Amino acid sequence: MTEPRMGLRVKVLAALVLAMFATLTTRLWFLQVLAAEQYKAEAKDNAVRLIEVPAPRGVIKDVNGTLLVQNRGSVVITINRQELGDQTERVLFDLSELLDIPADELGARLDDPRYYVFSPIPVATDVPKRVAYYIEEHRELFPGVDVLSEPVRRYPLGSAGAHVLGYLGQISEDKLKDPGFADYSPGDVIGVSGIEGIYERYLAGTRGLVKYRVNSTGENLGLIGRQRPVAGDDVWLTLDAGTQELAEQSLRAGIEHARTIVESDSGYLRANGGAAIVLDPQTGAIEAMASYPTFDPALFTRGFSEREFDRRFGAGHSFPLVNRAIQGQYPPGSTYKPFVAASALQRDIVTTGQSYPCPPSWTVPFDESDPEAMQYVFNNWTTADLGYMSLSTALARSCDTVFYPMGYRYWDTFYVNDDEAANGVESHEPLQHDLESFGFGAQTRVDLPYEQDGRVPDAEWKQSIHDQYPQSFPEGQWFPGDFILMTIGQGDTLVTPLQLATAYGALENDGRECVPHVLDRVVAPDDTIVRRFRQNCRKHVRIDDRYLRYVRDALTGTMTGSGTAASAFAGFPFGDVWVAGKTGTAEVPPKQDYSWFAAMTAAGGQEHVVVVLVEQGGHGATTAAPIARHIIEGLYGLDFSQFTEVAGTD
Amino acid sequence: MELAAGRAVAERHAFRHIDPILLAAAIGLAVIGLFAIYSATHQSLAAVHLDPGRFVKRQLTFLALGAVVLMLALSFDYRLLKVYAGMIYVSSLVLLVLVRTPLGTSVKGAQRWFELFGFQLAPSELAKLALIAMLAAFLSELRGDLTLEDVFRTAGLAAIPAFLVFLQPDLGSSIVFAAILVGMLVVAGTRTRYLAVLALTAVVLIVAGFQVGLVREYQIERLKAFLDPQSVSADALHNREQAEIAIGSGGLTGVGFGKGSQTNLDFVPEQHTDFVFTVIGEEFGFAGALILLGLYGILLWRAFRVALLSRDPFGTYLAAGIASMFALQMFVNVGMNVGIMPITGIPLPFVSYGGSSLLLNLASVGLLLNVHMRRFA
Repeated sequence: MTEPRMGLRVKVLAALVLAMFATLTTRLWFLQVLAAEQYKAEAKDNAVRLIEVPAPRGVIKDVNGTLLVQNRGSVVITINRQELGDQTERVLFDLSELLDIPADELGARLDDPRYYVFSPIPVATDVPKRVAYYIEEHRELFPGVDVLSEPVRRYPLGSAGAHVLGYLGQISEDKLKDPGFADYSPGDVIGVSGIEGIYERYLAGTRGLVKYRVNSTGENLGLIGRQRPVAGDDVWLTLDAGTQELAEQSLRAGIEHARTIVESDSGYLRANGGAAIVLDPQTGAIEAMASYPTFDPALFTRGFSEREFDRRFGAGHSFPLVNRAIQGQYPPGSTYKPFVAASALQRDIVTTGQSYPCPPSWTVPFDESDPEAMQYVFNNWTTADLGYMSLSTALARSCDTVFYPMGYRYWDTFYVNDDEAANGVESHEPLQHDLESFGFGAQTRVDLPYEQDGRVPDAEWKQSIHDQYPQSFPEGQWFPGDFILMTIGQGDTLVTPLQLATAYGALENDGRECVPHVLDRVVAPDDTIVRRFRQNCRKHVRIDDRYLRYVRDALTGTMTGSGTAASAFAGFPFGDVWVAGKTGTAEVPPKQDYSWFAAMTAAGGQEHVVVVLVEQGGHGATTAAPIARHIIEGLYGLDFSQFTEVAGTD
Repeated sequence: MELAAGRAVAERHAFRHIDPILLAAAIGLAVIGLFAIYSATHQSLAAVHLDPGRFVKRQLTFLALGAVVLMLALSFDYRLLKVYAGMIYVSSLVLLVLVRTPLGTSVKGAQRWFELFGFQLAPSELAKLALIAMLAAFLSELRGDLTLEDVFRTAGLAAIPAFLVFLQPDLGSSIVFAAILVGMLVVAGTRTRYLAVLALTAVVLIVAGFQVGLVREYQIERLKAFLDPQSVSADALHNREQAEIAIGSGGLTGVGFGKGSQTNLDFVPEQHTDFVFTVIGEEFGFAGALILLGLYGILLWRAFRVALLSRDPFGTYLAAGIASMFALQMFVNVGMNVGIMPITGIPLPFVSYGGSSLLLNLASVGLLLNVHMRRFA
């Protein structure tokens, strides 16, 4: 126990503290009881007005730092529907005169359900200053109309790389419901496709806020707070602006040339669309990705009404917004053969030493003692009998009738009939397994949205798709013919141009397959690197290197002599640039044939895979091979050859 | 031998003599704090797309950490503290110097924190407890009435950390050091005229500090805003005005949890830290404010009771020092919220958002319990 005098002094201290409590309570009594009404009134008069400050969106650059997408200011006219009231019709009419946009088009833009009734809707961008001034000076004539300056995207290289870069648009209702986009509000502009869409999180930055105090009449009483916007990060791509423009120009020139060519029985080639890819097989870096027809991303700096959107980007224009390099799925035709050949070598279906006949047609083995037996005949692409040839020559000359028997052997060797299945013997599907190991039948996981899967069909798939869609797929059973067509990249097989490019990359790279990508790095405004693309190369392919080498060497034969691309590459300096490739002519009845060319190239330490597809472009050597040649000439700084008509080989 | 055995038994029984009322008051304050912090921050956090519970979760983390610290602070015999007081005191001074070096981080122009595992730790908080222990050790060793020399030596011990935090600049903490000193000098029985001499010296030093520019611009601004509201900038006035409107508009019973317009619209700056009392004032009204003050009343009553019950002067000084620290922080903080004290940046103990101060306050409660439960041993 404390000594009494000390205890007394503790109590003195306690008394002091008691006085503190008394003081505070008195003051609180005054504030909260006596003067409460006055303060309540003051609190009620206190209101804030928030003004959002958009964050500068990050720019997009190519591998060398060339600007592909940047920002600029644009004069935007917005309309607040609530404030228009009964003057809607007159205001829209006046605006239509000023902006030279039909009044009903303006009305359609106003009816956008993605906006709250009270949020202003942008109806016109890049409005001439003259018009903006006129509206500002005649405010009373335009209730609810506002003139703002907003940052919009600018594309220094025009439409170059449009499909990869993507474009911006108002956030969709679906996205708004997605919890991942909880921080967006209706009317916000967001990357909706391409790089703009995939790397939205980096590019967008964080918007700022300015907070004013206003009284009940809306008078500004001063700044309360301010949150500065944080600029978005810059995205550097693996694309090379020069290569991209080369690929796009080559593709367009080749397609335009193809339209002057007459296909024997169906008139001029329609050549309505195409894709071209340039890829570094060592890293998976996409150096160029072109899709035809293309579009001008700058159009998206303003909104479209649904009608206008359909008119510009619909079937009438062959859907220019579709990135055919990753979203188009096509039968690969003969470009598939190298992978089938590699598998067949590995599975002892064929050997490198033997010779195989290449007749005009091949009949599936049948019971010859049975006069009623069905005879299935598969034709070569040419009616000439090319005699006996090695597998290597069969690849170079793309002989279908050498490949058909392989398909039958797969069936015969690995496929189990119902009786055997009943005895517990299991079927193997080594061909599908090997094709999938090259990346077919699954997304390449490229960093671009809406990539398609392609398709490596098998018995199980065939049955299930038949059960689901008996009309479109009338047959559910797996036949030898399914394997036979698969060997020449037809039947139900589908690939995207990028899948094919990746697979040829693996072939060039001794079976090492790289996940293709367009991102190189993300750089913050302070120049720190936020993210660098981590190269992802793996050896999935379980085929001996010697077989891969054999197939690769065989494809050099395509380019010369009696190879299918020899005429398309006539005069090409193969001494300077190593090129091995494969033509493909995919049948997509009732349309004209689709033209393919896939090439592996190397010279002076650089390697590129080039894949070209032209829808309804005829034979592979006719349209796709000359385009690929043009791209390869550009890549290695060679003199450009002219697009000329060449013989229609597979 | 026998004595040692008796000690051990007493030590074992010590936990039975813990003061549940003291503990409950502290916990009650911390819980009110959590509600107020959430109300003050969730809207602005959501507005910038951050987790609205961010601050509350961090405070909860510190509360859990504080529980451990509290247990530690009562686990040993507090008399050990007397032995190590000097060492602790010197260490705290070293930390106060180190925080001025590049090891410390600077926020809003004041260099007060060490950045550790993503949390900011303020050595000035530790220094408060260190000073209390040091003064308690020093005063409990003095025999007979305090001479003026004793008073100045005691004041010197307090002046060193007070000056160091003042340089940061952290005027608020300096005032707390002064309050600890005065409270403990009163309990030590210092003559009134010695206290007057001390006060006079302090005034002279502070005025000198103004003259040589040791006091920062914004501190002068705030002081002027308090002394003469007409004379200063709209910004400085704004803090006071909005805080008063918030509290006043709460009325008798408040507008209800989460419904304060002043709170939600962010009219009061620093509302989860120094101005957290305005949330309570606005949303829970006069009744809520009285409950809060009542909890402080209970806390301080129990703290003084510990001072009276302590078996030795060291414990009494320790308890009185801690009580002085709590009382002054509470008074200055609530005072500045209701507009009768200058704005000095002192947190409301247990309630304001801030890890270091919560840890220190809980450690102090631990020490009070420590003195209380070993009062028979």
